[in-house]
Amino acid sequence: MASSDALPGPRRPRPLSPHLSVYRLTMTMAMSIVHRITGAALYVGVLLLAWFLIAASADAATFAVFSGFIQSFIGRLVLFGFTWALFHHLIGGIRHIVWDSGYGLDAPLRDQMAWATLIGGFALTIVVWGVGYAVR
Amino acid sequence: MAEHPSDLRTPLGRVRFLGAARTGTTDAWFVHVTSIALIPLTVGFVWLILDLLRKDYNGVRAELARPIPAILLLAFVLAGIVHMELGMRSIIVDYINGQSRAWALAANTLFAALLALACVYATLRIAFT
Ligand code: HEM
Ligand code: HEM
Repeated sequence: MASSDALPGPRRPRPLSPHLSVYRLTMTMAMSIVHRITGAALYVGVLLLAWFLIAASADAATFAVFSGFIQSFIGRLVLFGFTWALFHHLIGGIRHIVWDSGYGLDAPLRDQMAWATLIGGFALTIVVWGVGYAVR
Repeated sequence: MAEHPSDLRTPLGRVRFLGAARTGTTDAWFVHVTSIALIPLTVGFVWLILDLLRKDYNGVRAELARPIPAILLLAFVLAGIVHMELGMRSIIVDYINGQSRAWALAANTLFAALLALACVYATLRIAFT
């Protein structure tokens, strides 16, 4: 660095810190961000699980309030979102574990795994909701 | 960095060779360990919820009073909440600085601990009453 600064002629521009806005969004980056967002959403969503357990541990009337909410349109929407976040995050998490073991970091596989996370997350959500409606 | 106006080193120079900040690597590692446990636990959890969907209050209570569903639930709740507490810690450290970081980290731990207590207490109460 120092030697190039000493050269005659126009100064080279100083190196910029890597910053999000300078880079083209790639599939792996997008899925990395979605992994974080789904993690944060699940963090809040666990409140729903706590509510369910507390309601079930209390009496039937308390439980009815919970099931009333979960069967409402908003309740279903929230639960659908939670299901998707959980599956997407699950597959994304498996991807991380595969990476940790040293596989799947090369260009084609990396992108294929990112797409598989996206598609797999939606597919599992739809399958599970289909099963959910079929069995009830 | 403003606390050291007399320090002529660059920010990079100050932190070089100090290693990862505190327990950063241990936390990151444990997020991954808990995530391995969460793979089967999540599948079991979703399975359990699908089973509970078609049950009413009494059916849900009866199902959760059985050992396997109760233990599965406890394991999912404990692994999940430890995992999410550590995961949120790295999000906080990435985006929040200074004094508010300390408050955010404390709030995160308290929230996770209360949530874990509530879930474990409720599950045990269903199982044993
Ligand atoms: C040598 C270059 C790089 C390496 C080794 C690297 C490595 C990593 C690693 C290990 C993660 C964590 C993945 C995860 O846990 O989700 C990550 C996340 C990320 N990286 Fe990079 N990265 C590099 C360059 C970049 C660049 C140039 C950008 C520019 C935009 C970038 C943007 C991101 C974003 C947006 C995330 C997601 C952060 C989040 O989880 O919210 N990375 N990177
Ligand atoms: C109870 C459900 C879950 C919650 C609340 C949760 C929450 C979180 C949060 C908040 C993070 C931090 C995100 C970040 O740093 O970008 C995280 C990261 C992570 N989660 Fe989860 N998670 C859950 C389930 C799972 C499951 C089932 C897996 C399955 C493998 C998993 C795998 C991972 C992995 C590998 C990371 C680390 C990603 C990284 O290194 O950047 N999680 N989780």
